[in-house]
Amino acid sequence: MNLTIDIIISGLINGSTYALLAIGFSLIFGVARIVNIAHTAFYMLAAYCIYVVTQKMGLNSVWAMLAAIVLVTLLGMITYKFLINPIREHESAVLIATIALAIIFQEILLNVFTGTYLSVPALIDGYFTILGVKVFYQQLLTFCAALLIMGLLWALLGKTRMGLAIRSTAQDREVANLMGINEARVAMMTMGISVGLAALTGAVVVPLTIVEPHMWLSPLIMMMAVVVLGGLGSLKGSFIGAYILGFAEALVVFLAPMGAFLKGSVALTVMILVLLLRPEGLFGVYFEEER
Amino acid sequence: MELILFYLRKLFTIFKNEVIVLPSRVVVVLFFLFVLLLPVFTKDQYILRIFTLTGIFAILAASWDLLSGYTGQLNFGHALFFGVGAYGAALLNLHLHIPPWGSIPLGALCAVLAGLIIGIPCLRLKGTYLALTTLAFPIILIGLVFAFSSFTGGELGISGISKLTQARITDYYVVSVLLLGLGAIMWKITDSNIGIIFHAIREDEVAVRASGVNTTRYKLLAFCLSGFFAGIAGGLYAHFMRIAGPSTLEVSLSFQVVIWAIFGGIVTIYGPIGAVFLLFPLLELVSFWQEYRTLTFAFMVLLILLYMPDGLFRWLRDRIEKECPRCKVRNVATRNTCRVCTAPLD
Amino acid sequence: MNKFSKRILFLALAFLFTLSFCTILFAEEIKIGVIGPMKFVQGKGHWNGAVLAAEQINARGGIKVGAERMKIKLIQADSNEFLSITDATNAMERLMTKDKVDFVVGGFRSEAVLPMQDIAMEHHKIFIDCGAAHPELCLRVARDYKTYKYFFRGTPFNSKYLVQAAFIHVGTVAYMMKKYLNIPKIKIAIVAEKALWADPMIPASQGFFPKMGMEVVGVWRPSPVATDVTAELSAIQRSGAHIIFTVFSSSVGIPFARQAGELKIPAIQVGINVEAQKDGFWRATQGKGNYVICSNTYARGVQDNELTAPFVYAYIRKYGEVPTYTADTYAAIMYALKPTIEAAGTLDSDRLVSILENRVYLTPSGTVKYMKDAEGRPLHDLTFGPGFLTGIATQWQNGRLVGVWPYHWKMTPQSPEVTYKGIVPMKLPPWMYKAYKK
Repeated sequence: MNLTIDIIISGLINGSTYALLAIGFSLIFGVARIVNIAHTAFYMLAAYCIYVVTQKMGLNSVWAMLAAIVLVTLLGMITYKFLINPIREHESAVLIATIALAIIFQEILLNVFTGTYLSVPALIDGYFTILGVKVFYQQLLTFCAALLIMGLLWALLGKTRMGLAIRSTAQDREVANLMGINEARVAMMTMGISVGLAALTGAVVVPLTIVEPHMWLSPLIMMMAVVVLGGLGSLKGSFIGAYILGFAEALVVFLAPMGAFLKGSVALTVMILVLLLRPEGLFGVYFEEER
Repeated sequence: MELILFYLRKLFTIFKNEVIVLPSRVVVVLFFLFVLLLPVFTKDQYILRIFTLTGIFAILAASWDLLSGYTGQLNFGHALFFGVGAYGAALLNLHLHIPPWGSIPLGALCAVLAGLIIGIPCLRLKGTYLALTTLAFPIILIGLVFAFSSFTGGELGISGISKLTQARITDYYVVSVLLLGLGAIMWKITDSNIGIIFHAIREDEVAVRASGVNTTRYKLLAFCLSGFFAGIAGGLYAHFMRIAGPSTLEVSLSFQVVIWAIFGGIVTIYGPIGAVFLLFPLLELVSFWQEYRTLTFAFMVLLILLYMPDGLFRWLRDRIEKECPRCKVRNVATRNTCRVCTAPLD
Repeated sequence: MNKFSKRILFLALAFLFTLSFCTILFAEEIKIGVIGPMKFVQGKGHWNGAVLAAEQINARGGIKVGAERMKIKLIQADSNEFLSITDATNAMERLMTKDKVDFVVGGFRSEAVLPMQDIAMEHHKIFIDCGAAHPELCLRVARDYKTYKYFFRGTPFNSKYLVQAAFIHVGTVAYMMKKYLNIPKIKIAIVAEKALWADPMIPASQGFFPKMGMEVVGVWRPSPVATDVTAELSAIQRSGAHIIFTVFSSSVGIPFARQAGELKIPAIQVGINVEAQKDGFWRATQGKGNYVICSNTYARGVQDNELTAPFVYAYIRKYGEVPTYTADTYAAIMYALKPTIEAAGTLDSDRLVSILENRVYLTPSGTVKYMKDAEGRPLHDLTFGPGFLTGIATQWQNGRLVGVWPYHWKMTPQSPEVTYKGIVPMKLPPWMYKAYKK
């Protein structure tokens, strides 16, 4: 019984982290067809930003979070305007450009902070016990953040004009343009929201993990697995896919403690199996060939 | 004697009329000469080592282009073939004592098998889904390598593999000749009927199917060919370094291959080869500037993508050559009229 | 000759003269290559230790080689071995062919040191490994002496002894727990990162701990770079473990200690935890890594012998932190190479090897004696035991890293008791007293 509770809680926590990352990634892909490999690199930048503000400047974690979100979002929009927008037409070039960007961030951080492992204090210290399982407050925060973000996004996309613009651009860029929507500005906004989400994830999740210049690689793999599983471009799919893979991981860790290192491989195998049956992911829309 | 002179004169005529005429072909000839004659100019072991590794990675990059450039199936897990080729050759060499000239082709065949295994699920996937799925396979394999570490050596890898050849200089020649040979074979493949079908699959697969061609077979063929060449590169690497470890399966290697190929220009075989020959020694040269090496590399790639999104060598080629609007034959850019049909060129 | 060619001749002669003058100048130097992952703590330790040794030696005029004195010139090579084995082998090759070093010290990751060793051996240069613990590196020496004889292990002792030392530390903790908490049968959880070097330790511990009267309640294998181990910690707590035997060399050591501290798991961590050896561990765990015990080599205040304190304090004065074991490049240069060269009077590798392998000498971490295997073949591996090298165990006590072992330690009931100067008693976490003391 205890084991099941452990698995459920662990799955929920893991899933929330992946959900936060995957939603941002999926958003920018759905709207602008940009595979932003540097998404987790922005998450890493936010982590270092928080580190600098809390450890070097000694301010409260909340200020650090705000600073991180604002700065990283700005940086994201600037890189979009100057680096990604000019080559948007060549999908493969965008892919490589974002990889190069992520590597640049990694190297700059490596040179400034060296490869030493750093850490960041939690927003809310301490833990509580639920049904016999100890859960950190920070983990609870992550879970609530995931639900909150999902709710906010759903409200934004469904109820506001901005959201309508985003949804129409995602469905058909050319026609949206014809209908008078400034497609370039919508893409820019979406990029801002997407990077902002990455930064927020960094702010919330980072006290639970280690800060070092290569920390963008492993969440990247899992995030892409989640997004592919859920279906590229589908927010609902990313959300649900995140929890499925989160539970898969938790199952591996608890049922096979000798094989805990395999959790990444198992999650990816699940993804491949689903893709074999449904090539567009669980909730993905099979896009027609690009015109 | 007469016969030899006859053939020499023929060779000379062909050379004068076919090769000198186009600067890009001259560059290719110069490249061949450079690769083959390098040891004449320098006996430095370190430089030979760098260029041997360059040759190995060039074969790898060209094989990626064959698959992902020509047929458009973006493969983000190319390190899988490299790693399977390396481990295959290493295991065969260590346990069955097969010498390198046997273990490398057999290792490459294992890579072909891997190509089939991942090609089949990928048949139904397109674009980004395909890229991300192929990314997953080497990671799963790394997990398996660690799980069966008594057999695969875990993260230490397999060591104690026999040397490729007895001397550094013969190592270099083996790799270079293979590079030039396999590169030429790949070029010929893309120039043949199979190549045309590859191009077509990339452009519009539905139309190809509608024309009655079994695209499944050709897509799998692309995976297998690419896997074979990449596996050879892997086997050469294992025997040259005398160790085959999980570093041959890393995500960063897959990314590196993609970056090289796109930097040099996809849908050309010479693009990735040129890119590796340009970037790999350059990166080593900047070794005194160790901390900023990868940073400069990434910056350069970014700049190239902004200004030459089709790749460096494509861009260069377009600068020095022009295509005739009437007969579609390429000419030197400085010419005013086409050399074949005398139509005005501009 | 006309005026022009006379000028050329003059310039050529001047050039040759300066060249020969320069070669005379350069000929006075012994080139030692220091190879390691320079962007990381381990490589920095390699470099710092070597620089300290070179400075001290050069200040006294250099090493006496036969009739002349030669100064040491250090050449840094970044092997980047954590990220690329290719880079590591390229770096070693560069040291051999471009920089033409006479000796190499350093190396850390076993997967990289194996091919680097091959390259150094091909060039017949002495390579002292300061970081990789895999026994295979020295087994090669015994199997193929002619090729591998130029290789010596500088630090640490090989992984078999690392385990043995860790078991001894566990035994000390178990004894303390029985004494102060009155626990009749101690339960122990084994947590080892999924890495090849840790694999043999699991069956070894599963066999050994029951012999010490402890019950093994479970084995967990997180990924070496895992960042969230709360799942494992929940399971460990439920198993009722009193001691957690850690086998970590990678970053997982930090989140494990931090989260265990934050969740106040009622078990004490002891074993191998490379991250916990570093001064930065306290900050990295946000102060929650208290009471973590791990195997170590140096600590403030601990003196293995009369050479330890001068080295440790010189290092702290120069670099502001306690040396970790990779800084034993200092001992490799100062106590292994220098006296051997001076005894041989030459830089010839073969001669130096035959002298070095028979020496028994003092270093800041103990006495070095090179082992032979069961058939009497030289292994060039380090001997473990009281009177030779034992390492120490350190514990984090409220922000300070102190030495806690050897403290009244006897290897066998007949051996003499060993306590190094500066060792203090171990402490148990207060939440354990609360959990177990009735």
